[in-house]
Amino acid sequence: MSTVTTSRYVTEYDAIAAKLPGQNLPWLQQLRKDALARFSANGFPSPREEEWRYTNVSAIEKKLFSPVLGFVSHPNLQTVDADWLKSQQLEDAWSVVLVNGHFSIDHSKLDGLPEDISIMSIADALVGAKNFSPLLETYLGRAVNIAEHSLIAFNTAWFTDGVFVYVPAKQVLAKPIQLLNIVTEADAMATTRNLVIVAENAEAQVIETFAGLNDAYLTATVTEVFVDQNAQLTLYKLQTESEKAYHFGGTYVKQAKDARFTHHNFAFGGLLARCDIHTELDQASECELNGLYLGVKRQHLDNHTRINHLKPHAISREMYKGVLDDRARGVFQGRVIVAEDAQKTDSLMNNRNLLLSNEAEADTKPQLEIYADDVKCGHGVTVGQLDEKSIFYLQSRCVDEETARNMLTFAFANEMVDKIKIKSLHDKVLEQVLARFPQEGVEKDWL
Amino acid sequence: MSASTQEINNLINKSYKQGFVTELETDTFPVGLDEAVIHKLSKVKNEPEFMLEYRLKAFRHWQTMKSPEWAFVKFDPIDYQAISYYSAPKRKEDGPKSLDEIDPEVLAAYKKLGIPLDEQEKLAGIAVDAVFDSVSVATTFKGKLKDAGVIFCPISEALRDHPELIKQYLGSVVPHTDNYFAALNAAVFTDGSFVYIPKGVRCPMELSTYFRINAANTGQFERTLIIADEGSHVSYLEGCTAPMRDENQLHAAVVELIALKDATIKYSTVQNWYPGDKEGKGGIYNFVTKRADCRGDNAKVSWTQVETGSAITWKYPSCILTGDNAIGEFYSVALTNNYQQADTGTKMIHIGKNTRSTIVSKGISAGKAQNTYRGLVKVLKSAENARNYTQCDSLLVGDKCGAHTFPYIEVKQPSAQVEHEATTSKISEDQLFFCQQRGLSAEDAVSMIVNGFCKEVFKELPMEFAVEAQALLGLSLEGSVG
Repeated sequence: MSTVTTSRYVTEYDAIAAKLPGQNLPWLQQLRKDALARFSANGFPSPREEEWRYTNVSAIEKKLFSPVLGFVSHPNLQTVDADWLKSQQLEDAWSVVLVNGHFSIDHSKLDGLPEDISIMSIADALVGAKNFSPLLETYLGRAVNIAEHSLIAFNTAWFTDGVFVYVPAKQVLAKPIQLLNIVTEADAMATTRNLVIVAENAEAQVIETFAGLNDAYLTATVTEVFVDQNAQLTLYKLQTESEKAYHFGGTYVKQAKDARFTHHNFAFGGLLARCDIHTELDQASECELNGLYLGVKRQHLDNHTRINHLKPHAISREMYKGVLDDRARGVFQGRVIVAEDAQKTDSLMNNRNLLLSNEAEADTKPQLEIYADDVKCGHGVTVGQLDEKSIFYLQSRCVDEETARNMLTFAFANEMVDKIKIKSLHDKVLEQVLARFPQEGVEKDWL
Repeated sequence: MSASTQEINNLINKSYKQGFVTELETDTFPVGLDEAVIHKLSKVKNEPEFMLEYRLKAFRHWQTMKSPEWAFVKFDPIDYQAISYYSAPKRKEDGPKSLDEIDPEVLAAYKKLGIPLDEQEKLAGIAVDAVFDSVSVATTFKGKLKDAGVIFCPISEALRDHPELIKQYLGSVVPHTDNYFAALNAAVFTDGSFVYIPKGVRCPMELSTYFRINAANTGQFERTLIIADEGSHVSYLEGCTAPMRDENQLHAAVVELIALKDATIKYSTVQNWYPGDKEGKGGIYNFVTKRADCRGDNAKVSWTQVETGSAITWKYPSCILTGDNAIGEFYSVALTNNYQQADTGTKMIHIGKNTRSTIVSKGISAGKAQNTYRGLVKVLKSAENARNYTQCDSLLVGDKCGAHTFPYIEVKQPSAQVEHEATTSKISEDQLFFCQQRGLSAEDAVSMIVNGFCKEVFKELPMEFAVEAQALLGLSLEGSVG
């Protein structure tokens, strides 16, 4: 995006600024002001920036999506089909619903939630509900800086609401928490900011799901995550936006000593979707990042991960797989940084891509940046085809070639699906994967 | 394991033997760069008119460009007006006709470097073009090569004698608009080697250019152009050294290789420019654009480089695989020590069908050095059944150095198979222990492990260079270690 002309979003900002949450908080006002200044100066990220080399988001500037304002806690959902909404909610989880970027208490299911666990609208938390305001001041904007890139600044200046999750020390959550993000209006933009804090020795599972009606809209969400000492968080992200939608979802994690963080990223929807997962590891902490992106038609799916080893003895594992058909383009950028102090780091990154059509494209950029010497780091990338020998083997067992190919392609993707530990989510993801393999022979007894 | 760390340091901290200065009378342009300098340069070199225009076009384009900042290196901005763009040993009117006419000081300098320009000497199997600062001082075995039809001469001579080849090929692989340093080079390049191997000829001997920077406050801008016509074969070696000085000197070269149908070019470099002292003072900035175009079917280009010198190395020998079944190879060992910085790698652009490329990169980082592999593998839609294999390994010695791997992989063709693998580690204590337990000293063990680490690349080097390369890494031959 040109740096000379100010983004049209900036000119619209004054009109909406007063309606954004946190008006009475000077620190947040300052944060928003800085973010706005940064965004005005730079506009949306351009492919000339190294981290955005393969992804051009200039369409977002051209479209001019507008935030949905005017209702805060009771959005009008008459236009939304109740059955459809229900189908998006997982039955074995506590779920909260964000409609067009606003927390909807009416549609949320939080019955049976232990009292000391907080799941609430971040707008409510900012105005002082349960006295969380000081905590927010300490944590908001700490896992990611607005200088990171313009979409962070954009989210910081524009966010309308979000979810605040606080799991106190030693609490082990019985059920996962689902954050269901839906957009129901054409040309709307849903800018949400989530904050997840898992305190010492606690354990939680959070599922972010994204869905929308069949319109063009923009989701720009940022989730900041703090996993305290010896705590454990498993975060799932299922992105099934409408096929005309634009999606940006950033997850920024800070792990304390011995903290464990696992992320499963399923990028299936959207016309253009970019996902950031950045994590910082402290001493002996562990992180595992898994991802699957399935691109069809003209989809552009970009996954950007960064693992920052700051202290010794941390372990990181990463596996991203992509299947690209039609004219889809898959991008993987993975970066592992090992700081000078981070001796005995053990890190492994893998990216595997399967191209199914002549028009599909895979761009991948795994990076290792190492400043310590006593480390074990590796990465591997492949882009290619199914193994001919495996196909031959199946054919020799009386499976016809097309079925063999379908089986192997499905198996390639299913490896990532099988890592899901939550039954209802597993089934939902599997359903999505199968929907993308309509060919005969996949959904068979061998499943 | 402090004892073994000590051994490694001893091995790596060898002094720079080529750091002497030769006292010479020289013709040197005053510092500064403008169009007048380019006019003067072109005139001194007695160039045809079209070259002057080419230079001026490049210079005007260069003025519109900005110095690139994306590489993983740090250095103060270069003052291009503080550099002299031409320096040559003083010589008689028409330049040396035979070795007898070359300044004996220059000959002595090359002798000291172990590059005898005397054709009767031991290295008789190699034809050498010796480039001293801005000019080529001697080219050996011209006669013998001429019999085979091979043209091997300084590029300034080729500009006068073979303008048709120059017009056709110069800038066709690296256009003057390519990048900042290529544009600068196109404007002010002074000398370099020109090689043309005619159809079906296998070059009877290895060709070699030895670059030497001697004068202070100069930049060396050399230009090498190698054309291998259909079915020909050539192996070319390049070596470089410079005196030890406190100031940084700029070396911005452009190398273009063109391989036509069924031709093979093997290009080997042992780069040993002065790397600066232990505090990171001085040394050469080595900003080089090297690119090969496999224009014909079945053409093959193989780059092998051993990078041990230079304060900053910034180069990406690349292959454009245009012809069907073309092959590109890149083998590299990059050693950085003290405050050296290297950002090096390759680009493989697959355009033709069944094109194959292999990348093997070994980085060794010691002291406070930063060593980066940066590579691009691009498979275009037309490149059916393209194949790439990339392996990047880094070895870390010491806890203050950095090793980085930045590969870019872009694939637009589903039948392509692209593999990339990278590892980073230090010499494992288990390996050292195993060797010592078998009766090897720590020094021999380290030497053997490092040597083994680089072996895949060294075996690609021509014999003489392989020996030099191993010596450069401060390692004895594997055989002598047992």
